[in-house]
Amino acid sequence: MTTSLVTQADITSRRILAIDDEEANVLLLRSVLEREGYTDIHCLTDPTRAMKAYIDLEPDIVLLDLMMPEVDGFELLEAFSHHDRPEEFRPVLVLTADTTLQARRRALSLGAKDFVAKPFDVIEVGLRIANLLETRILYQRLISR
Amino acid sequence: MRFWADRPLAIKGMVFIAIPLAILFGALASLYLSSTAEERAEADVRRAFAIQRDTYQVHALLSQAAAGVRGYALTGEERFLEPYAVAERELPPTMRRLDEAIEDPGVRREYVTLVGLVDAKRAGLGGIVRVSRGGADLESSRAALESELSANRDVLERLGNQVDAIQRREAVLLDQRRDRVDDVRSRFLLLTAVSALLGLLGSIAAVYLFSTGIVRRVRVLEGNAERLARGEKLDELPDEADEIGRLAQRLGRASALLRAREKDLSESEERFRLVVDRVRDYGIFALDTEGKVATWNLGAERIKGWQAAEILGRHFSSFYPPETRGFLPQQMIERAILDGSAEDEGWRVRRDGTRFWANVVITALRDGEGTLRGFAKVTRDMSERRRAEEDLRTAREEAIAASRAKTAFLSRTSHELRTPMNAILGFGQLLEIDEQDFAPHHGSAVTQIMKAGRHLLSLINDLLDISSIEAGANELTIESISLHELLAEAHSIGTPLVEQAGLAFTLDLPEREVVVSADKRRALQVVLNFIGNSAKYNRAGEIVRLSGRVAEGVAIVEVADDGPGIDPADVPRLFTAFDRLGEQKRSATEGTGLGLALSRSLVESMNGKIGYDPASTGQGGRGALFWFSLPLAVDATATASAQAPKEVQEE
Repeated sequence: MTTSLVTQADITSRRILAIDDEEANVLLLRSVLEREGYTDIHCLTDPTRAMKAYIDLEPDIVLLDLMMPEVDGFELLEAFSHHDRPEEFRPVLVLTADTTLQARRRALSLGAKDFVAKPFDVIEVGLRIANLLETRILYQRLISR
Repeated sequence: MRFWADRPLAIKGMVFIAIPLAILFGALASLYLSSTAEERAEADVRRAFAIQRDTYQVHALLSQAAAGVRGYALTGEERFLEPYAVAERELPPTMRRLDEAIEDPGVRREYVTLVGLVDAKRAGLGGIVRVSRGGADLESSRAALESELSANRDVLERLGNQVDAIQRREAVLLDQRRDRVDDVRSRFLLLTAVSALLGLLGSIAAVYLFSTGIVRRVRVLEGNAERLARGEKLDELPDEADEIGRLAQRLGRASALLRAREKDLSESEERFRLVVDRVRDYGIFALDTEGKVATWNLGAERIKGWQAAEILGRHFSSFYPPETRGFLPQQMIERAILDGSAEDEGWRVRRDGTRFWANVVITALRDGEGTLRGFAKVTRDMSERRRAEEDLRTAREEAIAASRAKTAFLSRTSHELRTPMNAILGFGQLLEIDEQDFAPHHGSAVTQIMKAGRHLLSLINDLLDISSIEAGANELTIESISLHELLAEAHSIGTPLVEQAGLAFTLDLPEREVVVSADKRRALQVVLNFIGNSAKYNRAGEIVRLSGRVAEGVAIVEVADDGPGIDPADVPRLFTAFDRLGEQKRSATEGTGLGLALSRSLVESMNGKIGYDPASTGQGGRGALFWFSLPLAVDATATASAQAPKEVQEE
């Protein structure tokens, strides 16, 4: 799964923030991630607290649902990209049951790095998360050099 | 008379001039003749005077000669012979003149006697002279002389009588001649008067004839020309063949032609007027140059509510509502004058003040010289159409709103149904992965949950697909694609599925490249649906055949198998949603029952057809053949379109 440049430990030690208003989905994500060996997992079911958590936790990756009450995923995507510095590569993986073309285009254009339709394949989601984190790690190394 | 009337004008004119001239010439000739007669008569008078004078002369000469001779005889003196010598000298020419002058036979008879007497006298006188000269025997001679003298006196007396007779005769003749001269003179005067009168009368007659025969007819013609111009009926003119007659005929023909044309024109005008009058849907009327209503038709009455009698002469701004009355009519007129016509759509008012939505065209009317004569105005009541348009717009907006609502609903439903599926299938998958940790019967329970869960998911997917197609919320990307590529891809994707079921899978492509107009992903979905069905319903060892061909202007894709086929009773419901056929008989196979219905929706949205052909393949009436058609691309080439970047599509 990982190249020699990035070890499995490098990836699983990264901080993950999962935001979904459905308790079951958050639990599923946590189960999947724990099975993969991740240790720094933070879950939210209240999207109004998402921005604060994003700023406070500074996660390495965000797993984001789109359709949520009060504050939806599109608004959060915009807020994240405004907050981040331009050179920052902080991937957002959108996980949504809204599979319409419009939703997909909009999410990707607002800065989402990947898009997975619910119901998802747990293995596939695990792989995509690992890939995005690997990219972030390599990017950070490149910047710091 | 008819002959005369038909003569050309030149001949008539000549005749009119010739008549008085001929009369004048006749009068002149008679004048000449009477003047020569008078001259002759006067010459006769003069001759009578000459005869009288000469006869006196003869008498006088002889009397004087006789007296002289007597004197000589008595005296013997020579000087008394002088008169005798004169007489001898003068008498012969005088007698000759008399001979020439005398014409009257009575006078000539007297003259012949006179000549005898003159000769006798001259002889007597000669004898006396001779005797007197002899003188010898005076006695004898005296006696002879005495007798001679007395004889001479007798002759002279008779001569005198004869001269008197001639004189008298001539006097009578002179009187006669004088009478004749008077007669001739009075005849001459009479002739002069008569010829003058005739000349005058002839001129009057000619003028009269001219005026009656030509001038009168020309006047009639003049009047006719005037009437022709006014379009009235012409006066009758006698049908004569001279120039005027022909002119009259031409005028008559022109009038007939003109009347025929006028009749045509008035008939067509009448027809046109009737058409315009009877038009009910359009208000058609004329305005004068100031914009006042000049004509009115039924349509205008119906649309605007004014009777003709009420509106004629009123300015057309009466039709405009107060807010536009002040400027729009004037603008329309100005635009019509500038551009020939002006069109406007807007509110107008009826007589009762109610408003209607009107389409108005004002056209400037110009005559042949381009002078503005007025305007034609056509008004159409568009209220109905406007209402219909508004209804249509509302309906469309409602439809669009409904469509948006449907799309939103679908999006929402999609989310609502998939979200719980995510947890179910996700945790199920995790359990599946850890299956070895469970007791065997738990493991199979997990498998059943997953199977049912996946089935439910595909059911939800198909349902959402059909709904979104039917709602029109589904965007298709229609492009020119290669049928070969489509079938090859379908074969490649379908092969594992078919082989898993233990079936053989063949692909039969058309020889030539075929380009169809379709959404590639959707078309592929349909082919795979067919293949999936065949794989599901056939037993191991049988063959599934995929093929493509062109027939009747469309491309046809077929999937045939040797399976049980479809019960003819079920065929009509084959492509209807939730009609999974004979479910109880084939409970071992899985499927949503929505596949064919979805395929039909997809094919139809790509302008194709879908169908089932029973018993066309396989043995003994077994087998099924599903087909669908796609329209051929108009002109695009397969490779160009096939390699074109594909747009991201929703599932």
